[in-house]
Amino acid sequence: MKALVIDINKCNGCYNCQVACKDEHVGNDWTPIAKPQPDTGHFWMKVTDVVQGSVPKVRVRYMHDMCQHCDDAPCIPACKATAIYKRPDGIVIIDPEKCTGAKQCLDACPYGVIYFNNDLNISQKCSMCAHLLDKGWKEPRCVDACPTGALTFGEEADLKDLIAKAEVLHPEYKAEPRVYYIGLLNKYFIAGAVYDPEADECLEGATVTLTNTKSKKKATLKTDGFGDFWFERQEPGKYSLVIEKTGYLSRKVEAIDCAKDLNLGDFEMSKKVG
Amino acid sequence: MAQKGKPKSGEKTVIKGTCLSSFGDNSNVACVDVKDDKILRIRPLHYDWKYKPEEFNPWQYKARGKTFVPPLKSPVPPFGIAYKKRIQSPNRILYPLKRVDWDPKGERNPQNRGTSKYVRISWDEALDTVAGEIKRVVKKYGPEGVCLQAEGHGESKVVNAAHGCSTYLMKLLGGYTQQIRNPDSWEGWYWGAKHVWGNEPVGLNMEFSSNLYNDVAQNTEMIIAQGCDPETTPWGFGGGCLPSLMCYWYTELGIKQIYICPDLNYGAAVHADKWIPILPNTDVALQLAVAYQWIINGAYDKPYVKTHVVGFDKFSDYVLGKEDGVPKTPKWASAKCGVPSRIIKALAKEWAGKRTTVAHGYGGPYIRGPYSSEPARMEICLLGMQGLGKPGCNQLTFVEGTMLGAYTRMRAGKGQAMGMLTPTSIIRPMVNAAYRGYIPFMWKQESMIPKTMLHDVIESGKYDIYGSSDQMDPVEDQFKHYTYPLKGKKEIHMLWTDTPCFTTCWNDGNAFHRAMRNDKIEFILVQHPWLENDSIFADIILPSNTKFEEEDIGADHWPVQYNCVYLEEKAIEPRGETMSDYEIVEAIADKLGLKEKYNEGKTIQQWIKAGFDGSHMEEAGLCTWKQIQEKKYYVVPTDPNWEKIPAGMIEFYNDPEKCPMSTPSGKLEFYSERLAKNFPNDMERPPVPHWVEKSEFHDERISSERTKDYPLLVISNHPRWRVHAQLDDVTWFHEIVTGKVRGPDGYLYEPIWMHPKDAEKRSIKNGDIVNVSNERGEVLCGAYITERIMPGVIYIDHGARYDPIVPGKIDRGGAINTICPHNVTSKNCAGMVTSGFLAEAQLADMDGLRRKYPEAFNRPYDKASGLKMERVLYKGEK
Repeated sequence: MKALVIDINKCNGCYNCQVACKDEHVGNDWTPIAKPQPDTGHFWMKVTDVVQGSVPKVRVRYMHDMCQHCDDAPCIPACKATAIYKRPDGIVIIDPEKCTGAKQCLDACPYGVIYFNNDLNISQKCSMCAHLLDKGWKEPRCVDACPTGALTFGEEADLKDLIAKAEVLHPEYKAEPRVYYIGLLNKYFIAGAVYDPEADECLEGATVTLTNTKSKKKATLKTDGFGDFWFERQEPGKYSLVIEKTGYLSRKVEAIDCAKDLNLGDFEMSKKVG
Repeated sequence: MAQKGKPKSGEKTVIKGTCLSSFGDNSNVACVDVKDDKILRIRPLHYDWKYKPEEFNPWQYKARGKTFVPPLKSPVPPFGIAYKKRIQSPNRILYPLKRVDWDPKGERNPQNRGTSKYVRISWDEALDTVAGEIKRVVKKYGPEGVCLQAEGHGESKVVNAAHGCSTYLMKLLGGYTQQIRNPDSWEGWYWGAKHVWGNEPVGLNMEFSSNLYNDVAQNTEMIIAQGCDPETTPWGFGGGCLPSLMCYWYTELGIKQIYICPDLNYGAAVHADKWIPILPNTDVALQLAVAYQWIINGAYDKPYVKTHVVGFDKFSDYVLGKEDGVPKTPKWASAKCGVPSRIIKALAKEWAGKRTTVAHGYGGPYIRGPYSSEPARMEICLLGMQGLGKPGCNQLTFVEGTMLGAYTRMRAGKGQAMGMLTPTSIIRPMVNAAYRGYIPFMWKQESMIPKTMLHDVIESGKYDIYGSSDQMDPVEDQFKHYTYPLKGKKEIHMLWTDTPCFTTCWNDGNAFHRAMRNDKIEFILVQHPWLENDSIFADIILPSNTKFEEEDIGADHWPVQYNCVYLEEKAIEPRGETMSDYEIVEAIADKLGLKEKYNEGKTIQQWIKAGFDGSHMEEAGLCTWKQIQEKKYYVVPTDPNWEKIPAGMIEFYNDPEKCPMSTPSGKLEFYSERLAKNFPNDMERPPVPHWVEKSEFHDERISSERTKDYPLLVISNHPRWRVHAQLDDVTWFHEIVTGKVRGPDGYLYEPIWMHPKDAEKRSIKNGDIVNVSNERGEVLCGAYITERIMPGVIYIDHGARYDPIVPGKIDRGGAINTICPHNVTSKNCAGMVTSGFLAEAQLADMDGLRRKYPEAFNRPYDKASGLKMERVLYKGEK
């Protein structure tokens, strides 16, 4: 059984995967696996720029949406024409010759990764380039074109170390996807900077403690040479933060609402008097 | 039944280098799968396709307990993968065209260039007309009357060179006037840094970047990427996405990566540990303050400065304010550059405390602004203060690394022996023996015009300057005096371009548009595959083809995992009536009775063989002609001794007397005696690097009076989704959020990055059409509102296709260079200024424009790819 692992931490946003998918499928007819993709508008491998944080603490991460090749794929029973099937290697295919254009699969797919081709009157989606795999290719085009190793394709058993670090998209759909993600955008950074306005200096070595209001879980770190602190991959939720540095009045920040990457800004610290 | 004589149906795989640098170099090798004259796919070459890895001696880096194993496939960027769209572009020119109101025997109507339409003509008529005009102009004005725009980037081809085949023909006619290619991607390094450290020919470290990827991995604690984007500029050139991999590995090794730039560029977006936003073109203020901190705190390598530097006292005097009464404190700098003074102090402290390498990748907002000589020189001084050349302390360039340095050595007769940024191959495969295009330093014409001044020179008929601005000239040239026209020679009266992209890639494109209408220019010949940019000024257009329609040879000798030589078979038949640039010039030569002289009696196949022979692969016992014909490619083995090649500038560091730099003193010249002597009154590039607030040449600071009307600073980088003007028609890039912005009217606008605060002030929302303007004109763009740009700054990539609403005044295509400064870098530096200038950006009055200029809004337009060739075809209208 095949699986694909997408490591978002290794994606440089070159869009080679999205573009290679188009190069493979636009204007090329791979029936019975897939008929040609329209030149624009379909994204069987869709990359999205996710820009979060605020100046100067901003990061871009690149989300990848594609057919999850679910083991319990809702699109299969939804298709009244029985055009959708799962291959023994786990890949889900919409048979372009059996598809009647009834669009039931588009409604059934919780991931929203099936596209409709108006010219051909069929539903289309990622085929994992099964036409190439059947010819002896080891990987689909998107993986072959990925320069950084962010995409890994292969036998699930061979990928188990990677899969152990990964998670699936929306496990609550219970669709048993065969696509796994590392670094999924469901945890966020909480960052800021600490400085002494009087001395006009960044404060290095201040202790910053972040507390999750609900779980009371604490994380602590020291500010770096720029006075910066970055708490990486925090669960969404409410937090409070304490900044301490010997000789300075401590600061507390309450009601931090973490629903995306957060730059809390620059914190002034005042020297203790006396 | 299949017809006899037709090619057998079936799939084949051909190899093509997809590097878009031109100049006969090549990289980003790809496999092209073809079936029945149709390209199925373009994909990376797996080096081990026809060779076992042990045959090419695979390398790896080991550092800090970790290993880097380079992928066994070529790091092709999306440009190569998507190139099919470029070949099939609805903007391809498929047959020769003549401007409808241009009559070589009667009225030439130069005033209509840019607006009048074209009619299809036969190749015979086109070639007769072109040959006739060349003969006429040469006879009337001398060969100097013909100006060749025959350089620049484009497809990397060897025999069928995309640029400069024309030079071979014109040499046979006694010469020509050469448009001199200035160092457009490394202006400041060329005009500034070379005066501090030599480092020919670029001024950016290329002579001494051997094994620097490895040196950083072993020794560096912090990388400063100043105006550098390793995820953009390397793509179209050599090595593609390899720099990306290195940056990821450096993160894994715990090497801090600090990005200093106005924009969270694509490298910063994924690799930065710290982004320090800085106002465009103010880096020298920050650098001076860093030097100030080091001097007052004694936080620099004093013994090194004593032995490796000259002029430190004068430099120090300026920094401390003894020269001008202004100490260059962090507070002083902060007001200029927008970086809080505490951050400048912290940066100075971090840099002094950690082994730091500064990284670059050409282009960017740092090196193409007014007075760009200054930050570049200043950087070398800072590196010098921290022991430049010490392990871990170098200047790293992600693009090309060592390539142009190798040319310098070749020219000096020192051979090519040197390492690479990456582990070097046994022999660097070069097939330039077959190259039939332009090579900057090979034959410079006495009659020449710096490209940055071409529009001025056409209009005024003269120049009087120092320095030719040739991007490959040694620094001594900057002290040479040049005038135009040459004594006893005439001005230019014909322009022959295979590089029709001045409007969107050079300085003040609108002024260029005006110059193209000057009646001094009697004939403009454009030879190009696409109807882009300056093509609309042509009198005759000759259609050339893409490399996929030609047979050629290629070699990848860039800093990439593995160097290769390969035979590029023809993938598909030429589209329409197109021919290769080499064949087009050959056909013109034929009309002039010079065919045999032009092609030197060789067929294209014979040139290819000559190129392979020149690579010395067979001589060295590595790969025979027979083998390469059979396998089509050869991977050159890695030199088993690659690690022994000294890394970076370690030899200069260890012994500056024995291994001097190429400056007059052999040392790092913080004070340049040579500049002092030659240009005693130059306040824009004085002997010690300076902050220049404004001058007679430029007034582009936030302190300027002009900010009342033009409060925003524009940066314009080398584009992410193009290589300069190339690839602006690829539909698949237009769908990317930073590729194009589809306006409410369906038109694909070039994105303008704007901070939410600036957008809010102007009631601009994401996706709105924005009018960017200054005294030089207006450019329409599509709003991309983002935290990836600092407030007060707007960012538009250069190179978008020019689509004039009012020629020379208003552009819809987003060609931001139409309104960039007219003047060159500074008085004695004929470089270009295409970033770091003032403008305003407001919601565009589209209804008003549409009412006033209906014709401009009714041109044939492809909703996915953009401009179409049909827009210029004459349909009988007046």
